[in-house]
Amino acid sequence: MIQFFHVTKRFPTGQLALDDVSFEIGRGEFCFLTGPSGAGKTTLLRLIFREETPSEGQIVVHGRNVASVPRSKIPYLRRSIGVVFQDFRLIDRKTIFENVVFLPRLLGHDLQRQRRLAFEALRRVGLSHRMNAFPRELSGGEQQRIAIARALIAEPEIVVADEPTGNLDPDLAQEIVRLFLDIHLRGTTVLFATHDRELIQRVGRRVLTLVQGRITSDHRLTGIAPPEPLVLPAAADHEPPGRDAP
Amino acid sequence: MTFLQALRYFLREALVSLRRSARVSTLAVLTIAVSLLLAGVLLLVSRNAAESVAAWREEARFVVFLDRAADAPALAAELVRAPWVTGAEVIDPVEARRRFERSFPSLSALVAEGGEGQLPTSIEARLAAADAGPRSAEFRAWVEQLRQRPGVEAVDDDRDWIEQVERTLAFVRALGWTLSAVLLGASIFTIASVVRFTALLYREEIAIMRLVGATEFYIRGPFYLEGVLQGLIGAALAVAALFAAYSGLRPRIAESLIAEAVAARFLSPAEIALLLAFGALAGLVGSVVSLGREGLPDEGRPR
Repeated sequence: MIQFFHVTKRFPTGQLALDDVSFEIGRGEFCFLTGPSGAGKTTLLRLIFREETPSEGQIVVHGRNVASVPRSKIPYLRRSIGVVFQDFRLIDRKTIFENVVFLPRLLGHDLQRQRRLAFEALRRVGLSHRMNAFPRELSGGEQQRIAIARALIAEPEIVVADEPTGNLDPDLAQEIVRLFLDIHLRGTTVLFATHDRELIQRVGRRVLTLVQGRITSDHRLTGIAPPEPLVLPAAADHEPPGRDAP
Repeated sequence: MTFLQALRYFLREALVSLRRSARVSTLAVLTIAVSLLLAGVLLLVSRNAAESVAAWREEARFVVFLDRAADAPALAAELVRAPWVTGAEVIDPVEARRRFERSFPSLSALVAEGGEGQLPTSIEARLAAADAGPRSAEFRAWVEQLRQRPGVEAVDDDRDWIEQVERTLAFVRALGWTLSAVLLGASIFTIASVVRFTALLYREEIAIMRLVGATEFYIRGPFYLEGVLQGLIGAALAVAALFAAYSGLRPRIAESLIAEAVAARFLSPAEIALLLAFGALAGLVGSVVSLGREGLPDEGRPR
């Protein structure tokens, strides 16, 4: 699903961000990417959704060489990858519904379908009752769940997350990790970047460690506290919004 | 997304953006309004003046004034043989006096029969339509020869002063268009700055849109439409201001011969549409220039 072949990334300033990185993540796999700050985790993720291009080597996503995707086709590549960031990256002036429904709207779905998809994505993160709120009215954890809903709305096969728990307290971080595990259980490939070693120890799964731009280890952890079934607020009780909703 | 859906989205986003950067948008709209107001005034004046001049040309007389000894019928017959003359009429002093009295009744005593002010015999020539335009060198030479002929006191060609008016109008028009072009350039620059400013305001949103897979068309559309709207609003303001000024001055225009000549009627619907289209185009050019190929700000540098 995601393959890196001897990928090196050097910035115009001369800074070496990734150095001869090779790995493969299979379909439906959950993989942590860890390493200290500045190790190159963000750069690696940005290479996957073509926010950056490699200086050397090849990256294959969905069987396509990402570097050779024409500029005009990059948006289509990105639509097939859900991306979640540490700082949520929600549009403050838009409602939760508008934030989440961005991609379906872009794809030309009618409003009824947009509502249904938004409701479903928000229900999965337990926030279908906050459709008309604005991001600033929500807590950090809720904002991150909205960002996850946005990433999930088009049912991507791959979700990459860049320190999605970095701005959250441990309880909220736990909740977000559970969400990602739930996403994974549904068959989605998840690449989860974090420097939180404790979190990784607790959850387990495959772990890629990046230090100074090089993969220093690729191993599997069993996990000391396997995730419990996801318990969300009583969102399922809510009905999809009617015509007078956004 | 269908084109109509995209347009609706662009319009909504452009309006939000105009509201968000209301002050700078107002500045851009006013700049374009001022430049298009000037262009509108020029269009109105030059079109009316051109129509007036064309009418004057049609009515322009070519008159040869004769002394008492001249053989008017013979000279009239000779004039008609010239290639640019289609007809000639001899106006004897009696007919000349009658015309004068009709035109200036209060001054009729000046030309009373047998008085000092007796009018001379003249020949009024009608010129071929092809010669209603700028005069050729041959024509000028012919007129000069005519002036030198015995029995000819003077040759009066109305087109002498018409051409002077045209030269003055051409100069004023050139000056005006130059000024309009400079102002329009300033408007485009202002719109470009406003759109750029807005794009900077939205840089985070643009980065998010790119990350979730928005195409450049989808991202840039609202900015282009914002520029077009600024240009359109500016042009509409210019037309409205011009119409208000014209309506206010219209009663006074009717009293003045010169004003009537340069402002007889307001802009036609086609000319108004042209001004609006020009405003919209200026706005579009401004936004395209401002964003360029790589012009949209992007958030997030390599980390």
